[in-house]
Amino acid sequence: MNKEESIKEDLLKKFSYLDGTFNIVRARRISITVGLENFNEVFVYIAKQMHFGHLCTITGLDEGERLGFIYHLADESGCVINLKTSVSKDNPVIKTVTGYFPGAEIYERELVDLFGAKVEGLSEGNRYPLTDDWPLEQFPLRKDWKGRENA
Amino acid sequence: MLGMLFSILIFPGLLFVSVFGLSVEYIDRKIYARLQNRLGPPWFQPVADLIKLLAKEDIIPKAANQNMFKLAPLFALTAVVTAFLYIPLWNKESLFSFNGDIIVVLYLLTIPTLAFFIGGWYSTSLYARIGSVRSLTQLFAYEVPLFMGILSSALLAGSWSLKEIINFYAGHNWFWFFNLLGFAITLVSFLGKLEKTPFDIPEAETEVVAGSFTEYSGRLFAFLRLTLDVEMVVGSALLAAVFLPFGFSLPPVFAFVLFMIKILFIVSLISLLRTIVARLRMDQMIDFCWKFMVPLAFLQILINLIIKGIILR
Amino acid sequence: MHNSEEFKIPFGPQHPALKEPESFSVALKGEKIMGVDIRLGYNHRGIEKAAEERTYIQDIYLIERVCGICSHAHATCFIQAVEEIANLVVPKRALYIRTLIAELERVHSHLLWLGVAGHEIGFDTLLMYSWRDREVVMDILALLTGNRVNYGMNTIGGVRRDIDPEQIQQTLKAVDILEERTKYYIEVATQETTIIKRLSGVGVVSYDDALRLDAVGPTARASGVKRDIRADDPYAAYAEISFDVITDDHCDVYGRTVVRVKELMESYKIIRQVLKNLPEGPIAVRAPRMIPAGEALSRYEAPRGEDVHYVKANGTDKPERVKIRAPTLANIQAVKHMLKDRYLADMPIVIAAIDPCFSCTDRLVSLSHIDSRDKKTITWPELHQFSIEWHKQQGIDFTQLNKQLEERLKKC
Repeated sequence: MNKEESIKEDLLKKFSYLDGTFNIVRARRISITVGLENFNEVFVYIAKQMHFGHLCTITGLDEGERLGFIYHLADESGCVINLKTSVSKDNPVIKTVTGYFPGAEIYERELVDLFGAKVEGLSEGNRYPLTDDWPLEQFPLRKDWKGRENA
Repeated sequence: MLGMLFSILIFPGLLFVSVFGLSVEYIDRKIYARLQNRLGPPWFQPVADLIKLLAKEDIIPKAANQNMFKLAPLFALTAVVTAFLYIPLWNKESLFSFNGDIIVVLYLLTIPTLAFFIGGWYSTSLYARIGSVRSLTQLFAYEVPLFMGILSSALLAGSWSLKEIINFYAGHNWFWFFNLLGFAITLVSFLGKLEKTPFDIPEAETEVVAGSFTEYSGRLFAFLRLTLDVEMVVGSALLAAVFLPFGFSLPPVFAFVLFMIKILFIVSLISLLRTIVARLRMDQMIDFCWKFMVPLAFLQILINLIIKGIILR
Repeated sequence: MHNSEEFKIPFGPQHPALKEPESFSVALKGEKIMGVDIRLGYNHRGIEKAAEERTYIQDIYLIERVCGICSHAHATCFIQAVEEIANLVVPKRALYIRTLIAELERVHSHLLWLGVAGHEIGFDTLLMYSWRDREVVMDILALLTGNRVNYGMNTIGGVRRDIDPEQIQQTLKAVDILEERTKYYIEVATQETTIIKRLSGVGVVSYDDALRLDAVGPTARASGVKRDIRADDPYAAYAEISFDVITDDHCDVYGRTVVRVKELMESYKIIRQVLKNLPEGPIAVRAPRMIPAGEALSRYEAPRGEDVHYVKANGTDKPERVKIRAPTLANIQAVKHMLKDRYLADMPIVIAAIDPCFSCTDRLVSLSHIDSRDKKTITWPELHQFSIEWHKQQGIDFTQLNKQLEERLKKC
């Protein structure tokens, strides 16, 4: 059994509700989809127990009605787990992961500025990457935001 | 009276020392560039820079103290030009030689640093203020080994006058060899006075932009740059007179040419030194001066005292 | 000034130590740094949004311009993701050529860094020397790709230019020269006292902190973290090439310097292997214009560290989403940590030591200009008008000037 399979087995043993959400894309790439309610425990388990100690980045996605977030977690052997979750655009609140990854602060600020996500627990700080006088309620990376019309 | 005015304003005063200062700047920049594998500036570059700056507008920050801001560069330039008049150029005696002129030269050389401090401080820019505080902090570190180095040579000669020092070494050929350690110490400390690498901390551009000079522009900045050039000439001349005190008995023209060569030699050494080192940090600089240079200077003084006590009795 | 009062000095957006606009507001107590407030985003150009509005082929050239130094890194990283989605099998020769350009780029980037580092600590001689030698590798890049930067070498499915035996010979010759010079730099960096004094003990990030703060590239490796995508998650031809991952346990700026100069030697090793084992065959396969729906995450060891691109395709000729995470963004948290309780004099070199590239870091959107007072967007023509009015108030009226000019012309 190769490494990716054993990771899958390990996770399924622990969290049976993840069944059917696995996708082993290729060697060293696994993607998992998890609901927001279970996100935290899966995330912490992967990061701490399975030693995926490097958060490459957090990708935000506009999925129409919902906002998607992909946490790219890597381990020392180069294996990456893309942990996906999503949240309704009406109330796009996610919890911060800066408690586990202090380096994630700037990735989360990006989500706040560009997708309009609300990150619970993110400390006060400078905006990134938009200017301080960028108007509220304009989130450039959402699909309905068109540069020319807004300009 | 006219003769005196001539020597103050034309030769060897303001005009000569300014032109010589600019040529020295060119030589310094050219050597620095060639050692760094660059082409370097053309010969008229320093003059062109000076003319350009003189033609430009002086911008004085609103918050700055106008008078202090304007006076500091003039004060600095005057001090260094005056200092040059006390240095013997073609015979054993300078124009205004008197007993104790070496102290006067050293004090006049300290004035630019204080002027930079005042100018930087009253320009009220944060970078300038940090730069000027650094200038002053640095002053307390390099001044001691600098004075002690020069003192050691004077001690051996037993006089505070440049004329007497030169006379002594003319009478005791090759005695100046004993002072080589003192020469090295003084030369390195002198880099601190000129604010050149490794002691260019007060104007480290990557940290405090241009230090004390940050807010200066136009004519005032031209004066500041001229001050630094002249300071380099005066300092090198002082070093040449104190540590390379030979050849003053030659016919005046030869003595003068020889003295210029000595100055250029010291300038080349300065260029070489600043090519091969990186900038130190303030704390490291102070440590270096107090823990390394000062003990060495003491050693030099001790050597000279022993020589004086044993050989010259 | 040397009292207990803290004061803040602005370090940017424009500052001689920064080659790009970013703002570090430094709280100082005497010469000591009490805290740093980092404000990024001045180079924000809207590349991620723009990429969604362009075709994949256009995106290659857009993304190549994310950064001027590691242009090949970004382009390759993006293309790898697209190729993975489209299930393209890239010919081996193309992979080897990509590897070659990647390593030449690393050489040029590291030599550039060495010079910048020298300048930051006031050692301009090092700057002049290393940038002179950098010309050798720039010439080779120009010979192989036609450009000194932004090589335009990549295309989806392979590379756009082949290399011939003549070029291989010249490259090998250049590598010999560079290796000679690099040995000299290793000597200088490890023996010159003032350099060691200025670099060691500065900007310390311990092994644990490097892991915790997600540092990447030479910054992480200098703290003993063996993290190198080339070895961990091999791409291009790296799986078939032997090289060492250089680490160091100094954990400071000195360590980062040592890692970089030693990595240069590894790069020469890789370049030689690539040129020796260059397989024959085509240099590209035909790629479809429409990329099938799918997603891929691509990682790449850029000279500054791990570069991450995520591409989502929706079956059209334009991507649904392109996410770029440049190495500097990952290291910026580490900088905050490094600067705590250090001296102001250390600031430039500490910032420089992560080899920051802020144009990589800030991308994304900025198409509109905003009037800060009432939070409403204004258009370009409005902004144009606003600037004319503003200057009029300052007494500069160009309309008046224009009229005068016209009248004068009429008279003639």
